[in-house]
Amino acid sequence: MVHIKLTAAPVRRGVFLIVVTLGMLAVLASGDVVRAQSDGEAGTYDEVEAQAIDRMLMCPVCPAQTIDQTEVPLAKQMRAQVRELLAGGATRREVLAWFSAPERYGPGVLAEPPRSGLNLIAWVVPGVIVAAALAGGLLTLRAMRRPTGDGDSVSEAPDDLQPYLAAVDRDLALDTDTERNDG
Amino acid sequence: MADLGAACLWMALALATYSFAASVAGQLRGSPTLVDSGRKASYVLVVVLLVSTLSLVQSFITRDFSLAYVAAHSNLAMDNIYTWVAFYAGNEGSLLYIAFALSVMAALAIWLAPASTRPTLPWTVATLMLIEVFFLAVMGFMANPFQKLPFPVPDGQGINPLLTHFGMFFHPPALMAGLVGISIPFAFALGGLIGGRAGDEWIDAGRAWGVGIWALLASGLLLGSWWAYTILGWGGFWFWDPVENAAFMPWIALTAFVHSIMVQKRRGMFRMWNIVLINVAFGFALYGMFMNRGGPVPSVHSFGASTLGWVFLLFLAFGVIVPLAIFFWRYDLMRSAQRLDSMLSREAAFLINNLLLLGIAFATLWGTVYPLLSRLFAEQEITVARPFYDQVNGPLMLALVLLMGVGPLLPWRRANLHSLRRALLLPGTAALATVAVLLAVGIRQPYAVVGFALCALVTASILAEWTRGTLARRRSVGDNFAVGFVRLMMANRPRYGGYVVHLAVVMVALGVVGQSFYGVQRDVVLFPGEDASVGDYRVVYVDTTALAFADRTEYRATVEVYRDGEFLDVIQPQRTFHPDHNMASTRAAIRSTPVEDFYVVPSENREDGAVGFRILVNPLVWWMWVAGPVMILGTVIALWPSRAPARRPVVAAAAMPSAAD
Repeated sequence: MVHIKLTAAPVRRGVFLIVVTLGMLAVLASGDVVRAQSDGEAGTYDEVEAQAIDRMLMCPVCPAQTIDQTEVPLAKQMRAQVRELLAGGATRREVLAWFSAPERYGPGVLAEPPRSGLNLIAWVVPGVIVAAALAGGLLTLRAMRRPTGDGDSVSEAPDDLQPYLAAVDRDLALDTDTERNDG
Repeated sequence: MADLGAACLWMALALATYSFAASVAGQLRGSPTLVDSGRKASYVLVVVLLVSTLSLVQSFITRDFSLAYVAAHSNLAMDNIYTWVAFYAGNEGSLLYIAFALSVMAALAIWLAPASTRPTLPWTVATLMLIEVFFLAVMGFMANPFQKLPFPVPDGQGINPLLTHFGMFFHPPALMAGLVGISIPFAFALGGLIGGRAGDEWIDAGRAWGVGIWALLASGLLLGSWWAYTILGWGGFWFWDPVENAAFMPWIALTAFVHSIMVQKRRGMFRMWNIVLINVAFGFALYGMFMNRGGPVPSVHSFGASTLGWVFLLFLAFGVIVPLAIFFWRYDLMRSAQRLDSMLSREAAFLINNLLLLGIAFATLWGTVYPLLSRLFAEQEITVARPFYDQVNGPLMLALVLLMGVGPLLPWRRANLHSLRRALLLPGTAALATVAVLLAVGIRQPYAVVGFALCALVTASILAEWTRGTLARRRSVGDNFAVGFVRLMMANRPRYGGYVVHLAVVMVALGVVGQSFYGVQRDVVLFPGEDASVGDYRVVYVDTTALAFADRTEYRATVEVYRDGEFLDVIQPQRTFHPDHNMASTRAAIRSTPVEDFYVVPSENREDGAVGFRILVNPLVWWMWVAGPVMILGTVIALWPSRAPARRPVVAAAAMPSAAD
């Protein structure tokens, strides 16, 4: 894929774009790995990670706020506790488990439903709704299609850009009397 | 004066009831006189409610503490300018404001109603007046702003300090008027439905009011975010709080509606769907008002918490079930006139846009109800907050931005892949170039990269079309660039106004992505003279001055800001203690530039003289606040009336001539 000219056939340009995209995704993924490995050693803690955890814990005495959003004493204590646990070598998962243990604040302290057991429902339902809506909507659209005609395969003139440009010009209402108020 | 206001309130209730009854009876009996009197009663309602409103304002200005509402929301120390805010600081005044705002919008809508809606207008009047009756009755019997105290108090309790902010002058009124304003397009749809004309008769009025109300809600949401950003003191602007969601969902549903209505206007399709959408938006608006006026979920935004919840819940049920019944009764009326030509068309893109938007609205609703379900059925306290919505709605929003870039490139009726590819070439290249640049400068967070790339895609596709159109004008008509561009915009206002709004959405997206993924936060405690570094910035805390006022003490910290060792500025973030309310409020000091905000807020004034500061560097947030005026400009362009008759169906605007026609 070295000798690519921009005037190459659409197929080759498509391949080029795919390669570029894949390459970029690879870079993205590797960046993520590097990020994930940089996590702490015992005795110190990563403040960025601590702040991320702050945003995942609710302040039990405040209206719908996480502990990073409020200065009530309990929230301050919890923030200090997060840092203490992280400095002791706990991972994010362990810190969250510590706070949400039944003998401490319970699962309600977590700002998002746990991704296990019954609470998976909370996570699955939005996806199912959106997928079902999209599928249903597209099927309905299909059913609305004109029964006549040859579907999507419209025969194309070799230089098919001309009608498109003409349509754009028309769309752009050069002829303002006939095409005002296009949406 | 207060007695006059109270009397007017009852008179308003009588007028609205009469207007409703006369419209219904007149229509059923075929009596134009009765119908006419019902319509005129709705105009008189505005005057009566205006007197009532002015009377409450007067009571605030004279600090008439014989009124319970005035005593609860103002005091002698309050600046007169906050009368405006105090007016709607509680339920009673908010309801009066909502009733007044609705009466004004209703009268305008009725007066300006296009000829096509005239035959069913009485049903529209009746719908609007029934909603008005609800608010007036709640006020009269349960939350009367003119309720007297048993004996006057010498001084009132004062206004909630969180409300004494510039954003509060517009944010609550815009949101409240916007939420109740959804009634207007809804009433046109429902009126048409009841009167048996639910085809295309209502859509011009529905679209105009829908777009206007959309912009009102959007301004309200943006101003609310700005308020939260500068005063709540944690450095963010949106955290999916239940009350934020309650205002967000109707706006999202209305966004779907203002897109989908274009399909009906241009292609005669989606008739039933548009009626469904405006009903959904209305249902969400009722839900939003229910949450605001005493909903079951705690929120930092609930200033009017009360026992009104159940009445609003009943009204919510009524407002959803009755239109649903009417909808099924009139089901056969809503058949679409046109059929779809191709799945690859603007019609289909609009439908996907609608479904994604509704997906966001319902996912948000699901997040709100899940804790209640969990408590009921699993007996487990579960919280659904910011991280959940970020993760669920984030991808859906990115998909929407993608669609915002691709959808407008698709022609009506039918596109062909080849021309679409050509149209996508420039925007696609812009997106890929953005990715390359971002990776080169070390921005690797996948969400952020995709987000920025999609912003580039949308911007490029809009600018490309404008350039192409301007050049075409120059070629064919000989306009110069500026004139050509303005004429281009004017020639196709709904579309290009929409594009301007899309650009505003891109600006908001920039701010959201920048702050979410590249915001840097640091919490420090500094003694006078000490310094702290955040990113390229260094702050030196100089000292704090305490200013005592009658109702509050302001602690103004003086902080020097350096960047890369160079002195930039002296800023004065504030923390204010309000002994009457036993609470503190903050006012962040923000140095805002298009690149990033430098944000400092004192989080704590310690007794030993040290001050706790939260310091943030928030990239690109500036763009969010600039987006507001841009969005309003776009809405004005989109709604600017045209000289030619508004409706003209597409004959052959498709990219390819189709075989069927």
